[in-house]
Amino acid sequence: MSNRKQVIRARNIQKKYSGQSALSGFDLEVYQGQIMGLIGPNGAGKSTFLQAVLGLVETTGELEVLGLSPKRDRHELLKRASSITDVAVMPRWMTVGQVLKYVEGVHPRFDMNKARKILSNTNIQKDSRVRTLSRGMVVQLHLSLVMAIDAELLVLDEPTLGLDLAYRKEFYSQLIEDYFDGNKTIIISTHQVEEIEGVLSDVVFLNKGKAIMKESIDSLNTRYLELRPKAEFLEKAKSLKPIYTRTELSRPVYLYEDTEIQKLEIFGEVHPPAIADLFLAIMNKTNQSEEGS
Amino acid sequence: MNALKAIIVREIQEHKWGFVYLPWIVATFMSLVVVLVYLGLTEVNTENFKFSTEIYSNPDVAQAMKDSTLEQRSEVIRTGLQVLGTPLVIALGFAILAFSLSTFFDERKDKSIIFWRSLPVSDTFTVLSKLLVATIIAPLLAVPPLLVLHLISVSVGSIFFVVADIVPFFWAWEAYPFSDWIRVILSLWMQSLWSLPIITWIMLTGAYSRKPVIGAILPPVVISLSEQVAFSSSTFFDSVMQRVQPWSRSESFPIEYEGLRVSEIADIPLLFSLNEFWIGIVVSLIFIALTIYFRSRSDYSSVE
Repeated sequence: MSNRKQVIRARNIQKKYSGQSALSGFDLEVYQGQIMGLIGPNGAGKSTFLQAVLGLVETTGELEVLGLSPKRDRHELLKRASSITDVAVMPRWMTVGQVLKYVEGVHPRFDMNKARKILSNTNIQKDSRVRTLSRGMVVQLHLSLVMAIDAELLVLDEPTLGLDLAYRKEFYSQLIEDYFDGNKTIIISTHQVEEIEGVLSDVVFLNKGKAIMKESIDSLNTRYLELRPKAEFLEKAKSLKPIYTRTELSRPVYLYEDTEIQKLEIFGEVHPPAIADLFLAIMNKTNQSEEGS
Repeated sequence: MNALKAIIVREIQEHKWGFVYLPWIVATFMSLVVVLVYLGLTEVNTENFKFSTEIYSNPDVAQAMKDSTLEQRSEVIRTGLQVLGTPLVIALGFAILAFSLSTFFDERKDKSIIFWRSLPVSDTFTVLSKLLVATIIAPLLAVPPLLVLHLISVSVGSIFFVVADIVPFFWAWEAYPFSDWIRVILSLWMQSLWSLPIITWIMLTGAYSRKPVIGAILPPVVISLSEQVAFSSSTFFDSVMQRVQPWSRSESFPIEYEGLRVSEIADIPLLFSLNEFWIGIVVSLIFIALTIYFRSRSDYSSVE
């Protein structure tokens, strides 16, 4: 990863809202070509960090995005970074055609023909006003705009919030199949972890404004394994000290950290954990160690 | 240049009722008033100008019209057109105030500021572009309906004068001051520069206040009342009122230009020679800087 271009460099990022810490010493490095998922509960600091990346909030600490300071060089940065930060922000009084014309006028990297081509595959009409579009169509329009911008970094903050399943699936498949080319970098925060885990290359787990784990998906799949032990091996499996236990169909499922697959396979079915389950396990582990200290 | 054009087009699209439709509606209404006056169904009476069918029945008025010089005719036509255009200019003033109040407030209210600020347009550029729309573009958009009102009024008048056999058809056209078209534009621009402290103050309240109407009115009222109570004077209130009315009616307007005419209120060097004008510009610059500051600090938390 070290020979790839660094896209985001965050060191000891701090942000407080009315005395409450939203980010407290958050560190992160994101490299070109990564699709980084920010996973965490409400109030973990995900949105605050993404706002800071876009220069929308001021933070303390060192933050560099595409070699620029988001606050000082925001204008320059936004020529190279695009974002979808909320579904409700498109100006409702505008027509789709007016939105396209406006973005074409203000964004030097926007390709009108590409946007029209993407939109031609949807039900969105050029003359429709944004207020007449469904939530899903508004997000689709926003995604079409963003996909027609030749940006180096795409920031997605809960981009599919409130959408039905069909739109959510389409959003991510379009993003990966038609937009991501390996040279671009995407950073995503979402609550619907299960829908993005197939597209992520890396994850960072956040809790209380701090990164509690940063790993590549490949590394996660090697380091963390879930075991559904056969009934007769329950005690033996437990003796290998799983970091987290959950129940599935009244049977325990154990999650192990840095345990060889060969040691587990003899007790039952082994597979990499879902990110949501891993997140709960890591949260649980972090809370236990905090209580212990 | 593309970005500036895109912002201007967007603002006109968003505020088309105030900037486009309203001036045309008022111009159409005033054109109807002109026709109704000539039909004897109504009349226009102002301090400077009387407009009625008296010319049909009063032989002295008809004779005075026949005997008038070209300069006298121009003067009468100019004054008449200015009176007819006044409602349109007032409507434009309200449209600019409504725009100034809503332009930075509405984007916070509907959260579209998040979308606008996700694009590479700086806050300074956005604020200055919107100011350009309020002071230069909006007055420019009011010029075509204003000139159409002029042409309809002179045409209708000429037709009625011929039909009533008072003066020939070209009596009014020979004296119509076509050079006033430029003066009309200049006078509207100069008025917006004179009223710039009001425009920028209202924009500022839209950028920071959660209740912009109260935010725009309350501070000037409190300052005026405080001054009245503390010093028994009304300097602040008078200064504000001077900026609301036409600059040619302000106390700083030189006494030698007392007769209110389009030609004088379009006199750029005259306006620029007034200390009061430059005081207004300095105050406006402070309000503009504060508007840029507040817009640049608008984030999710400011709209939630």
